[in-house]
Amino acid sequence: MKLRVRINGADHELEARTDESILDVVRRELGLLSVRETCGIGVCGACTVLLDGEPVSGCLLLAPLADGREITTVEGLGGDDPVQQAFSDAHAFQCGYCTPGMILTAKRLLEETPQLTEDDVRAAMSGNLCRCGSYVKIVEAVLQAANA
Amino acid sequence: MHEPEWLAPASLEEALALKAERTDATVVAGGTFVGILVNQHLLAPTAFLSLGGIRGLRFVAEHEGELRLGALATHRAVELSPLVREKWPALARAFSLVASPRVRNRATVGGVLGDADYASDPPSMFVALGARVVVQSRHGAREIPAEELIVGYYETSLAPDELIVEVIVPGGPHRAAYRKFRTRSHEDRPSVGVAACARDGGLRVVVGAVAGRPQYFPELCTGEPASIAQAYAEAIDPIGDISGSSEYRRRVIAVEVRRALEEIAA
Ligand SMILES: Cc1cc2nc3c(=O)[nH]c(=O)nc-3n(C[C@H](O)[C@H](O)[C@H](O)COP(=O)(O)OP(=O)(O)OC[C@H]3O[C@@H](n4cnc5c(N)ncnc54)[C@H](O)[C@@H]3O)c2cc1C
Ligand code: FES
Ligand code: FES
Repeated sequence: MKLRVRINGADHELEARTDESILDVVRRELGLLSVRETCGIGVCGACTVLLDGEPVSGCLLLAPLADGREITTVEGLGGDDPVQQAFSDAHAFQCGYCTPGMILTAKRLLEETPQLTEDDVRAAMSGNLCRCGSYVKIVEAVLQAANA
Repeated sequence: MHEPEWLAPASLEEALALKAERTDATVVAGGTFVGILVNQHLLAPTAFLSLGGIRGLRFVAEHEGELRLGALATHRAVELSPLVREKWPALARAFSLVASPRVRNRATVGGVLGDADYASDPPSMFVALGARVVVQSRHGAREIPAEELIVGYYETSLAPDELIVEVIVPGGPHRAAYRKFRTRSHEDRPSVGVAACARDGGLRVVVGAVAGRPQYFPELCTGEPASIAQAYAEAIDPIGDISGSSEYRRRVIAVEVRRALEEIAA
């Protein structure tokens, strides 16, 4: 099928199968490699993308469900985004594999809840797993971005 | 491999016609359950019937004192709705405890009933609250008490040509609680879920995630919290899986049912 989707601010018409995930499509068709498959069952958050601004698991989103909608990946944030900056300042990663998903989840959390407590951050980010165990620094980074 | 057809009706009428004609098609709402099956190569349908284009099934509204949830309302919409939080707080809570925000952004009211997964949270709460599920085919609509919708592991009482269109939750004064007991991490599915609701002197206690369908025993719903809890623990034959052995779950049921009843009595 032809998938019409706005990705990181640009309109695209992409080749996709109806039974593949948006994760596979954005990696193959656009080389957006920040979207990563780990568990493939919705648990880990490494494949997080924003769908019309809301975090979703790219591995679970059948490509046609994104038709006519807008996808944001961390590549679309440009690098000087305050959340990205806070992750860098707080050294909130080791290998960096989980980081794009963490940043996108945190971005939406900050938009939704301007006054954040540490518990809010832990609850909202609980579905994003970090194999390196950088959680303490990740929470720190999100709180830093909230207070920036 | 043959690429499945993507059927995307724009109205409920069109969807019901397709549901009757295309018995080969897999219904997709939020796609979080179907997505896993396809991704893991457990399901390779010849067609998908996507409900996402149907307008007017996303509502979360009050009508004549009852709560009405459209089948396409997301978990997140139910959880965050000021109406649900104010008048049906235990329901808002049960939805808020499902998975992660990422899953709740997609997962729908119709989907969590339609997948009939035993390890789910909202179905037990619906049963405890005395909710009715409205299902519809080309020939008309009917209401099913929530406890009669899920009949076993991944099995519902829907006819092949029916879709879930909405859930109706009775209003009025009530005290309800939902307790979710997990054995792994915060965003995990329940090992045991307990929903309880007291209204007009009547009590409904429902235990989820322990058997093929939400466990509800009207005849055991009188007495002291501890004795009801013990009776439920004895009446249920819990499944053993990665979230806990059968014996372990039986003990958890005895504790969590008592706690839920103490919560609504407090
Ligand atoms: C990582 C992860 C963690 C989870 N944790 C929990 C948890 O803690 N607690 C919990 O309760 N659940 C949990 N779930 C399950 C989740 O709630 C369900 O996957 C979700 O609710 C399904 O909704 P959906 O709209 O995405 O359904 P879909 O995947 O679109 O559909 C699910 C099934 O229902 C059928 N269906 C959908 N809509 C209708 C309809 N209107 N009429 C008839 N049939 C229909 C479909 O044919 C399909 O068989 C988890 C899921 C994931 C991926
Ligand atoms: S790869 Fe999608 S949630 Fe883990
Ligand atoms: S930094 Fe390595 S997985 Fe999180």
